[in-house]
Amino acid sequence: SINVLIVVNRVYQVVLRPTLACPVSTRGYKGEASDDSRGDLIEIPLPPWTEKDGETMDMKRRRLLFQSRKRGMLENCILLSLFAKKYLNTMSETQLRQYDRLINEPSNDWDIYYWATEAQPVPNVYAGEIMDLLKEFTKNKDQEQRLDAPNLEYLDKGSQ
Amino acid sequence: MLFCAYKPLTNAIVAVKRNVIDCIPRNVLLLNKHSDRQISQYPVVDHHFDAVVVGAGGAGLRAAFGLSEAGFNTACVTKLFPTRSHTVAAQGGINAALGNMEADDWRWHFYDTVKGSDWLGDQDAIHYMTEQAPASVVELENFGMPFSRTEDGKIYQRAFGGQSLKFGKGGQAHRCCCVADRTGHSLLHTLYGRSLRFDTSYFVEYFALDLLMEDGECKGVIAFCMEDGSIHRFRSKNTVIATGGYGRTYFSCTSAHTSTGDGNAMVTRAGLPCQDLEFVQFHPTGIYGAGCLITEGCRGEGGILINSEGERFMERYAPNAKDLASRDVVSRSMTIEIREGRGCGPEKDHVYLQLHHLPPQQLAVRLPGISETAMIFAGVEVTKEPIPVLPTVHYNMGGVPTNYKGQVITHVGGEDKVVPGLYACGEAACASVHGANRLGANSLLDLVVFGRACALTIAETGTPGEKLSPLKPNAGEESVANLDKIRFAEGTIRTSEIRLNMQKTMQNHAAVFRTGDLLKEGCDKMDAIYQSMEDIKTFDRGIVWNTDLVESLELQNLMLNAVQTIHSAEARKESRGAHAREDYQDRMDELDYAKPLAGQEKKSFDQHWRKHTLSTVDIKTGKVTLGYRPVIDRSLDQEECSAIPPAIRSY
Repeated sequence: SINVLIVVNRVYQVVLRPTLACPVSTRGYKGEASDDSRGDLIEIPLPPWTEKDGETMDMKRRRLLFQSRKRGMLENCILLSLFAKKYLNTMSETQLRQYDRLINEPSNDWDIYYWATEAQPVPNVYAGEIMDLLKEFTKNKDQEQRLDAPNLEYLDKGSQ
Repeated sequence: MLFCAYKPLTNAIVAVKRNVIDCIPRNVLLLNKHSDRQISQYPVVDHHFDAVVVGAGGAGLRAAFGLSEAGFNTACVTKLFPTRSHTVAAQGGINAALGNMEADDWRWHFYDTVKGSDWLGDQDAIHYMTEQAPASVVELENFGMPFSRTEDGKIYQRAFGGQSLKFGKGGQAHRCCCVADRTGHSLLHTLYGRSLRFDTSYFVEYFALDLLMEDGECKGVIAFCMEDGSIHRFRSKNTVIATGGYGRTYFSCTSAHTSTGDGNAMVTRAGLPCQDLEFVQFHPTGIYGAGCLITEGCRGEGGILINSEGERFMERYAPNAKDLASRDVVSRSMTIEIREGRGCGPEKDHVYLQLHHLPPQQLAVRLPGISETAMIFAGVEVTKEPIPVLPTVHYNMGGVPTNYKGQVITHVGGEDKVVPGLYACGEAACASVHGANRLGANSLLDLVVFGRACALTIAETGTPGEKLSPLKPNAGEESVANLDKIRFAEGTIRTSEIRLNMQKTMQNHAAVFRTGDLLKEGCDKMDAIYQSMEDIKTFDRGIVWNTDLVESLELQNLMLNAVQTIHSAEARKESRGAHAREDYQDRMDELDYAKPLAGQEKKSFDQHWRKHTLSTVDIKTGKVTLGYRPVIDRSLDQEECSAIPPAIRSY
């Protein structure tokens, strides 16, 4: 019974350790899972993102197309340009605004990837129709080949 | 974030910028569209700044921050929002000899970097970088970057490939500092945030077209605003290029779609040379197809590379380091296996990275993201199957040649000559600290040290508020004419087709292992593809948020990088660092360092290959001209740090 107690104690300690350590423990995505104090994010606030005024829906779509295709890392470039190809031209105004906020407000592009792959929970401000669509799209249930971002010619009305 | 938005229809200025002298459009460039007699008008807005930085990645932000802190009125022109620059992808860390895990010395880091560069790196620049490294990391810490800590509160440092102690004789060094797994993001966030406090002016989603050169001096940059299609001339005595690399010239690369070598192309169009473009680093493990990077950390955790026979082939190629040998060694080994028929998959064109022999717990805790990436992009379940991987283009050692102070140089009459008004830092520059091969975690260090160096040099050689020399009123006209030409291009070959042709040619002819015939064929093909740009076809005629136009301009830039890369590779008849040739397998130095040096006669400059390539392009014909300049073998101070004489490189 003493042995059992020791085992229980150790398991308890292991479980408790992450929360006792530094404030936030993020999953080390491509390396070690070292603790992240997020001090820079707390103490160096960036100017808040604001929605653009006076933009027509057409202009919004054109802007969001560029902003979907040009991201910080390849994974997002491929994922978001394929997503934009499938959904951008049929999004309603509310959906466009949700998408605009999702891809332009977060400062770390990796966060968008973690939410889309459900590696990390989605913050409430980004939860909604578009986030659900993106998560579903990422799962790749049809197992399509995702070798690269698509070319732009699907937009060329002249070729259709 | 302050910006000047110009609305062409109402002629109104939305936000007035501090110190912008001309926000009212002065010059309206009229261009005839001969095919349907339409006239395109491009209103031009002129800005005056003490310094202009092109690119807002790690290097650009560090330069902009340093300049703003020194009181210079600085503009940062970028096609992406700063925290979306490719630096954000960096999850490794920054090397610095802080000595927190064991006794360390920057001279050992210096030795590792010189050896890693296969003696093509300029030792004065490497001396500068490794000596400044500890101070730079401490400085970043003071700016607010929350580095990961050890239990006693010191900055935690971990091992990374190619880093050793005691000049290679003391075992593995632990000198890579990181911010959890978001070092790149933290760097961008910290520098961007701090630079705003000093009033740096950011021009976001402005695509830089060309440098404004006059009499061999750089007087600024011309760019176009994607939001409203207006043209902006940023006039300044000091221009810093920090536009990153050009991975997108290849079919398979780990880079984002933004790595299009814009800075290198701007420099080429200005008639200046680019340096060492043939040295392209291949990361051993990019996912076959998509090219997404699988970190070296996987192999650090016990992952192994296997061929079609299930053999851990790295044991043969690098008996000591095995799967953790230097990146170029691993890439070459993988390619040899594929070439010799032991590749995996239906086309036997890749190898496998095996992780399923590791305990699932370890995979989940230490390498969780790998499972997602492997499933989403390769359809593979890592606890059951191996991941198909291929050496994938990852980094460009070459770029705009600079001295150790960040000033862009040309080589005239056997001497290095500074180009007045022009600076470069980061992956876009070639200082050259990485030489023929870059060590992991040295790139983020390169960004901060040389970003800072550019700011310091500008602060030393100039003063804020200096009067600008006059500029021709029609400066930048050709750039706008080119923009218009691409916007209304009605050829027969689509942008995406030309781009794919270029990428496939580079992938097949200038990849990890190169041979004379394949390279020569590639050069001819690339020359033809360059000419095919005359026949380009774009489909979007708008001027606002025209992604087709931007991607076509980027293709022009990529093309210039590609032709210089393949021609330089074809000409270099040796194997050094990342440039590996099957037909010339050895390094060709001025002395044969594999044998005793006594009694050997030094080869003349023309007869050996331990020299930097300088390439220029005739924009009209696409003809590449090559020249060479010597490697700098002296450190900045021989007493403080003696230079490392060349030797055979083995791990």
